Amino acid sequence: MTDRDRDVQGLLPLTPPMLHLLLALADGDKHGYAILKEVARRTRGKVRLGPSTLYGLIKRASADGLIAEADERPDPALDDERRRYYRLTTRGRRLAVAEIERLESLVDLALEKKLLRPRTA
Amino acid sequence: MTPRGPSRARTERFFRALVRLLPLDFRTEHGREMEQVFRAQRGEAREGTATVARFWLDTVQDVVRTAPREHLAILKQDTTYAIRALRRTPAFSIAAILTLAIGIGATTSLFTILNAFLFRPLPVSRPGELVSIATLDRHIELPHGLSLRDLEDYRADNPAFSDLVGCMPVRAALNAGGGAEQIAIEAVTGNYFSVLGVPPAVGRVIAPGEGRAPGDAPVVVLAFDFWRQHFAADPSVVGRTVRVNGRPLTIVGVAAEGFHSTESLLDVSAFVPISMAPALSGDASGTPALFEARDRHNLRVLGRLRAAVSIAQARAAMAVKARSLAQQYPDTDGGVSLLIVPETDARPEPATGPWFRMAAATFTLLAMLLLAITSANIANMLLARAATRGREVAIRMSIGARRGRIVRQLLTEGVVVALAGGAAAIPVAWMLAQSFARGVRTYRAIPLRVDLAFDWRVLGAALFVACASGIAAGLAPALYAFRADVNALLKTGGRVQSAAVDRGRVRRTLLVLQIAISLVLLVSGALFVKSLDRVRRLDLGFKPDGLVIAETEPALSGYAADERLAFYRRAEERVAALPRVASASWVSWAPFSPESDDVKVYVEGRAPARPGDVPMSFAVSVGAGYFAAAGVPLVAGRSFTAADDRTHAPVLVVNQTLARQLWPGQDPIGRRVRFAPDGRAAEVIGMVRDGKYYFVWEEARPMVFRPIAQDVPLGATLIARTTDRPAAAVDAVRRALREVDPDVPLAMVETMTSHLEQGNAFIIFRLGALLSNLFGVTGLLLASIGLYGVIAYHVAQRSHEIGVRMALGAQPSAIVASVLARGARFAATGAAIGIALAAAIGRFVRPLLVGVSPFDAATYASVTVVLVAVALAASLVPARRAVSVDPLEALRVE
Repeated sequence: MTDRDRDVQGLLPLTPPMLHLLLALADGDKHGYAILKEVARRTRGKVRLGPSTLYGLIKRASADGLIAEADERPDPALDDERRRYYRLTTRGRRLAVAEIERLESLVDLALEKKLLRPRTA
Repeated sequence: MTPRGPSRARTERFFRALVRLLPLDFRTEHGREMEQVFRAQRGEAREGTATVARFWLDTVQDVVRTAPREHLAILKQDTTYAIRALRRTPAFSIAAILTLAIGIGATTSLFTILNAFLFRPLPVSRPGELVSIATLDRHIELPHGLSLRDLEDYRADNPAFSDLVGCMPVRAALNAGGGAEQIAIEAVTGNYFSVLGVPPAVGRVIAPGEGRAPGDAPVVVLAFDFWRQHFAADPSVVGRTVRVNGRPLTIVGVAAEGFHSTESLLDVSAFVPISMAPALSGDASGTPALFEARDRHNLRVLGRLRAAVSIAQARAAMAVKARSLAQQYPDTDGGVSLLIVPETDARPEPATGPWFRMAAATFTLLAMLLLAITSANIANMLLARAATRGREVAIRMSIGARRGRIVRQLLTEGVVVALAGGAAAIPVAWMLAQSFARGVRTYRAIPLRVDLAFDWRVLGAALFVACASGIAAGLAPALYAFRADVNALLKTGGRVQSAAVDRGRVRRTLLVLQIAISLVLLVSGALFVKSLDRVRRLDLGFKPDGLVIAETEPALSGYAADERLAFYRRAEERVAALPRVASASWVSWAPFSPESDDVKVYVEGRAPARPGDVPMSFAVSVGAGYFAAAGVPLVAGRSFTAADDRTHAPVLVVNQTLARQLWPGQDPIGRRVRFAPDGRAAEVIGMVRDGKYYFVWEEARPMVFRPIAQDVPLGATLIARTTDRPAAAVDAVRRALREVDPDVPLAMVETMTSHLEQGNAFIIFRLGALLSNLFGVTGLLLASIGLYGVIAYHVAQRSHEIGVRMALGAQPSAIVASVLARGARFAATGAAIGIALAAAIGRFVRPLLVGVSPFDAATYASVTVVLVAVALAASLVPARRAVSVDPLEALRVE
């Protein structure tokens, strides 16, 4: 285990909304509303974040250095208002990977214990 | 699909209001973005009512769920930060916590005492409905009880009360086979337990209708604690017979756990039906009196208000009943009116309730003042530390912490210190309360229940007081931070001039306030001491020094009048013959006893002005040698002799007040009075000087003295005048009485001086002096610590200037004098404000003082002198340190 790994281990496990936030930013910078839409779309509406929950997450994630403000610009798909965009930091990416690996090892364990049948790809 | 204007503005306003639930920081950081998201989501949810409703529900839920979490997160962060900051400066933290422990501890212990006596509700069902009903009449200004016959009439068809109960404490010796034990028993009306809603723990309680006729229900119900302590909580005691004052009573049950009777001070161990009261007090002749006489106001009465009946309505309804009784029975109920107050207002008894509450309010005020000094001290400490933290605050502000955030954090710091102080205060409060309880329990004449347990009310009060003082203490540094100029602070490394001036002003104001309040506390302490001293030197109408008193209860052994009289005579002879005793005699109740007796006085040949308007007087039976032994001066006529017994004509001695009331400007000797309309006439043979009989602060009251041989009391107190130290004779008197008759219960034997000190004569004044001085000295100590801090800080600030002046040849004494002058200025300003403040609250203290005005100039002057002297002493240390500074060293610092 490297020092960097150890650094993020302390933050594990993540709450599902936090993991969704990090995942939503994994493939590009987004503003708050876009994050909400992405999470709702990917989870088929099962995880629906409200504005204060979302910004509570953003606040904590920023404080822990998992995400950072990218810039402020208008979203061409929405109105002309300027919006603050967020990006995933290296640390945030490492933490998301660590959480996914943790979940993966749980899935492996469940397969081994025959709690779960392997999916035919 | 743009929403229409007005509706859109309104929904956004609503959302903004909703978002206000979130912490300020959160809003300023993300408020605008949240509104953007809200607008977008709202635009999406336009179609269909169900979607819109769902959208609103989600939004509200979202904010309401998030807000507490965000606030808690900040609180946690601030608390962690505060604790870390406190750990960095252990000396400061320990000093602050100890200061608070003293301030909060003193306040909490006082509240524990008030709670036990005044606030804690009776352990009965719906205690808030209970009110106390007492009799007032024209001749005895103190409210007292009701007669059993009147109680029955008030109970019948009462529109205001669902029912009334009566009770009456009886002193008793209970013997369960292992020897007699002195206890207090409550004689109660049959409905007592059912009306109060107290079930039995074992067996049954006294039933409604039980004990209507004299002596018809020889049963006893034990109090739970007594049962546990004396019968090991054995349920098989039900059905057993115990002897109470020599009479066999059957235990029928045990009252519910936690129920300790309706008395607030008396420790009641058992309950009997009211029908047993005369028999138990050994007073066979009292039976008809208790059951028939409407002017025997023996019962303490509580009523349970009907639902939706106010106390004012109850007063009106009872006044109507009282008037109709007065018409029906003018002789006995003529001048009677009722005093109806909530049960808690009538503690410990209706007569002393208002006085108790006033004393409670005054001492609470003093405790609050002490707490203010404590808070000011902590505020000063926090401010002094804020000076060293100016740079830290500036840095935090420059990296974007908002002022509100920093204020919140400083307040949290104040509260964290205060909570730590509050926790440390709990053992302090407990110790203070227990030592108070020990003090009260030394009063041996009656078994007292002093249960100073900490309940949620006490802990809640301590918590409230701690938080309030923490916020008060954190406020000053917080305000200072609010006004700090970030740029200036950063530039000068946190020691900017303008901010320092501001801070200095706050600190100086706090200091002056502390000095002012400590003067108030010291003045009230000194007034109470002076008042206690006056009370001790008050002319009580007899000479207490050198007296030994012994309270006996021969009637409890079942002695009839002749046997009691024989005992009194034998005991008197025996004690008078003791080596150190000059003389001895008897009195049916000693001055300042918890009990008293009164009579109606019918002057022969004079019809009452109005029906029932018969003068009342205190009454006491005394032995032939009482006036001489007690030192009561005879003013006219003769005193009693051994010949004044039942075989001779009834005689009496009056005091000056009664003589003046009955025969103004005339000679009372030879006049004749009766104590009942159809009683035997007795002749006034003498008049003695007025005295104090029940309270030391009472106005002169009428008193009738009757010879003990003509009116033999059930129990009496022997008084013996000793030739030298009375304390040395106490044991001899006790032994002598035991030898005369070992069966006669001895309630207490002690010197009159200790009876006065411990009893209802002086104890209130002693406790008052003790408490107020505790507050005064603590306040002075805290204020001088505060003064020391400010002067030391001042000297440190001026060390450069002092160094220059010394280098230029200034005399050290001149510099010391200038520093002392500064301390003296503070003291003088504080004292001036304090004098005004003390004079303003003087009227609250006035009713608690005897023989001294709350504006006593000598007291104010001497306290001011003490205060200024202490202030100078506190300034002297830093002043001397100022001149010990090496001028070169001081100059090099710059």
